[in-house]
Amino acid sequence: MKQTISIIGSNKSKNAVEKSMNIIYLICGLAAVVCVVCMTVYMVISGWPAIQKIGVFKFLFGQVWNPENSQFGIAPMIISSIIATFTAILIALPAGVLVAVFLAKLTPGKLSTALRMLIDLLAGIPSVVYGLLGAILIVPLVFELQTALGFPTSGSLLAAIIILIIMILPTIISVSETAIRAVPKQYEDASLALGSTKLQSIFKVTVPAAKSGIVAGMVLGVGRAIGEAMAVIMVAGNAAIMPEFLKPVRLLTASIPIEWAYSSGMHREALYGIGLVLFIFIMIINIILNKILKKGGDVRG
Amino acid sequence: MKKITGLLIAVLMVATLFAGCSDGSTGGADSNLSGVVKTGGSTSVEKVMNALIYQFQNENRDVKIDYEPNGSGDGIKNAISGLYEIGHSSRGLKTDGSEDGGLKATAYAIDGIAIVTNKGNGVDNLTKEQLSGIYTGAITNWSEVGGNDAPITVITRESGSGTRDAFAEIIGLEKGGSNIIASANVADNTGAIQTQVSSNPNAIGYMSFSDVDTSKVNTVQYEGAAISTDTLKDGIYKLKREFYLLTKAGATLSPVAQAFVDFVMGDAGQQIVADNKLLPIR
Repeated sequence: MKQTISIIGSNKSKNAVEKSMNIIYLICGLAAVVCVVCMTVYMVISGWPAIQKIGVFKFLFGQVWNPENSQFGIAPMIISSIIATFTAILIALPAGVLVAVFLAKLTPGKLSTALRMLIDLLAGIPSVVYGLLGAILIVPLVFELQTALGFPTSGSLLAAIIILIIMILPTIISVSETAIRAVPKQYEDASLALGSTKLQSIFKVTVPAAKSGIVAGMVLGVGRAIGEAMAVIMVAGNAAIMPEFLKPVRLLTASIPIEWAYSSGMHREALYGIGLVLFIFIMIINIILNKILKKGGDVRG
Repeated sequence: MKKITGLLIAVLMVATLFAGCSDGSTGGADSNLSGVVKTGGSTSVEKVMNALIYQFQNENRDVKIDYEPNGSGDGIKNAISGLYEIGHSSRGLKTDGSEDGGLKATAYAIDGIAIVTNKGNGVDNLTKEQLSGIYTGAITNWSEVGGNDAPITVITRESGSGTRDAFAEIIGLEKGGSNIIASANVADNTGAIQTQVSSNPNAIGYMSFSDVDTSKVNTVQYEGAAISTDTLKDGIYKLKREFYLLTKAGATLSPVAQAFVDFVMGDAGQQIVADNKLLPIR
């Protein structure tokens, strides 16, 4: 009476396997969701009371961070983080896109492969190594500049920006390159057939067509830059004052690792508060990224 | 028949395994102490504490002293909550009521705080007033304290650091160094201070004497006294702080914890303290 030929057996047991696998997958999927929800709840529960006690306005717009005096204003850090991130993107984006164009369109195969391998390697280097590089090479260089201008200090916003540029370039390059390669060859062929030069068709046709991918790379870069802590701590000087290019600054991410170990009471709660602010920052960036990626799908689809 | 032989061999092998096990566990004990003690706290004491624990565990093979270096704040908090049987602190307990969880602080070592400058810096002595002037921003040029005409780069430890608290208190700054100028560079560990001072000719910083590498940085005299183990012992060099073991006041410690405290305060422990360039308390 054998009806089915199956490695599992009867229909009944097959169904049971299907169902149980379904449940296992569901649990795995839920685990990820639960993690995110738990983290969000935890951040809000531990961060919000401090912000409330200090006062939302005083916390976000206060200009003095002096835990010993119970002054917890993080405006200098927020502004420093924003300036550092956007200056870094402003410089890294054009440079990164040009490199991506070079890799995708203008380089012969072998050289391109070798370069891409090196850039991928760059993307994988731990940030503390970049920080070390910055502390040993970039800070002394900036120090020369500071001395020439008459106010030598150690760390500076400029050094932090330089480090961030180097760190986000690989991300921007590889994402942009993938986007540029994904543009159908016909677009470029059509442009060439109409009599444009190779460079014209790259910059007027291919790059605009890859726009959404390039923007995605940019947003990823912003995310990495704003979340970076280790490398900037080692070069920025970490003084919580309003940012100036050649003076020490403290970025939003820096306070937590710097002050966590010895903090207690309100000070520690305020650090949780900073964590919450950072968390919201990153969430906003992710939402933007998702929007852009979806839009990108529409354009190409 | 084959099966039975196989089974016998298997049983024999397992039996040998267990025999080996019991041999190992009964053979190695040097003392009758055994157990685990959870401790943690100050990162400043890490070097000397690891040396003390290493020696203590060497003498008592069945004892394990856990040490989580996570800062004096956590050491105090967890000693109060009972998570650590012994907490480590590199500063005295606060008297403002936030840390009076019935703790007993036993000082076992004194650490000198060295004022460090770049190798190229000519200033060799600073008074208390000069130092507090530099750190509050009243003095901004080395020429004001007898050095070259160059702006001073002030480097400090982060808020909450035990070294910073002790330094601020001794040179007469406000509690926790709250009036240290905001534009000072902040370094979150001793190594970072030393690196920044050694790479910046105008820099000044302060750090634990036990970590100073005199091939990289200068140490400056404080109130006319140079820092050394001798001047710290004599009390001539005033810039120093104490390391504490925190235990519950009035409570009886576990035998292992008590033995460890006795060891630290005993001759062998105090010798290890001295070997780590700290001043033994006894």
